Amino acid sequence: MIKSDAPAIKAAGLGRRFGRYWALAHVDLELPAGRSLLLAGANGSGKTTFLRIVAGLHRPTRGTLQIFGRDAREEREACRQQLTLVSHSAYLYARLTALESLRTWARLLGQPSRDADLMPLLEEVGLGNHHDQAVGGFSAGMRKRLTLLRARLEEPRMVLLDEPFAALDVPGQKLVKDWVQRFRDDGISVVLASHQLQQAAELCDDAVVLHKGQIAWRGGAEKVVGAFEAVTTDLGGTDLGGEEVA
Amino acid sequence: MTPLSHSSSDRGFVRLLFSQAWTVLRKDLLLEWRGFSRFLSVLFFGLVTLALFAFAGDADTEQLRGGASGYLVLALFLSSTLALSESFRLENEEQGIEGLLLLPVDTTAFYYGKAIGNTLFLFLLGPVLTPVALVFYAVEFDFLLYLQILGLWVLTAAGLTAPGTLYAAMTSRLRSQDVLLPLLLFPLVIPILIASVKAIDVLLTGDFTGKLLGELLALLIVFDLVYWSICGILFHYVIEEA
Repeated sequence: MIKSDAPAIKAAGLGRRFGRYWALAHVDLELPAGRSLLLAGANGSGKTTFLRIVAGLHRPTRGTLQIFGRDAREEREACRQQLTLVSHSAYLYARLTALESLRTWARLLGQPSRDADLMPLLEEVGLGNHHDQAVGGFSAGMRKRLTLLRARLEEPRMVLLDEPFAALDVPGQKLVKDWVQRFRDDGISVVLASHQLQQAAELCDDAVVLHKGQIAWRGGAEKVVGAFEAVTTDLGGTDLGGEEVA
Repeated sequence: MTPLSHSSSDRGFVRLLFSQAWTVLRKDLLLEWRGFSRFLSVLFFGLVTLALFAFAGDADTEQLRGGASGYLVLALFLSSTLALSESFRLENEEQGIEGLLLLPVDTTAFYYGKAIGNTLFLFLLGPVLTPVALVFYAVEFDFLLYLQILGLWVLTAAGLTAPGTLYAAMTSRLRSQDVLLPLLLFPLVIPILIASVKAIDVLLTGDFTGKLLGELLALLIVFDLVYWSICGILFHYVIEEA
């Protein structure tokens, strides 16, 4: 049973190894339901691995993980049904049109799937005029817009966003911001991994900086830019007003 | 949702399962239609296989006629590995499986959608391969015989695709899939091969004495039911571990 007051994420000693390489070494983290968290860190720091473990696409090698109070290892699918992941992969079939892709997702999710239900959604993300084009011909930004619609159709309790601003033009970035804000207003927990810290920090309550698969800093999202610079330039001792982690 | 965690009396679940399986099937049919060349290449492979068996028979009409049922079923078996591995290659290229795992879609529904799609794909080879085989192997063409063979073809294709879809999913991320898939699949479907070859042989020779045809049909149906049930349950674990 899902506990309504349970944290969205409760990770203890979470780690994932690929061969000999620990992509995520040791993460202790608790995200209260309805809060938003920014994951910052250099390339290879473990952000994507953490998101994929939470999304149920990787099993953790060690540690425990609970999603809304359920054990992610024991109740993997039940946990997965609580969340959605918007990642680098668009999960789109190149030969299907935008409308057909959306219709397929809507049907799988048991949502209304008539053109009249779906066209307003496509228009909302600026793809109304491209509804009958094969997704294979879409730019990366257009694919991301379509993937965001999928996240919305799922009606999740938590949204995981991996580099949501990547490949998007300015209107596209504004669209993502508006959507994340809407998720937050609806009480949906948000975890956002991004290198565009300034933009991402505006959308999040809390932040952590990952370094070599561990949390090197945690605190308020408004302080993440300074914290990230301190961590990556080995100035971890600077008083950033957040909690430093050994 | 693991397949085992549901009660068979749960009508809502069954309805959702059918709806999701139908959506997966419809998606696959649409993709097949848009990439029709895949079907044509598998069909051409089947035709070439039939021709090679005919050449290997050294124009000995009796020998060809005697082995016609075996050659026809073997052409289907060999074509099936191409078709099955291709169906999951597309899913991998588009990261479709990962995408579906992220949706609250029952993996059992995904399996049955894919397996029915693969069965249809293999079945559609039958209407072309069967008359060609009858001509190549000097068997007199008869429309009733043609329809009877197509009926058997459905059961044979279903018996192949149930475990074939499972193994194709299992091996889909391996570089050696093209080798592993037939190695894993063919030993498992030997009962289907034997029953199908013998049943088609009965039809071709017209020797309906005894209960042989009925028994062979029953054998095919039983194996189909067993494979479709067990593989549907196992698919969830295969996909999760993959």
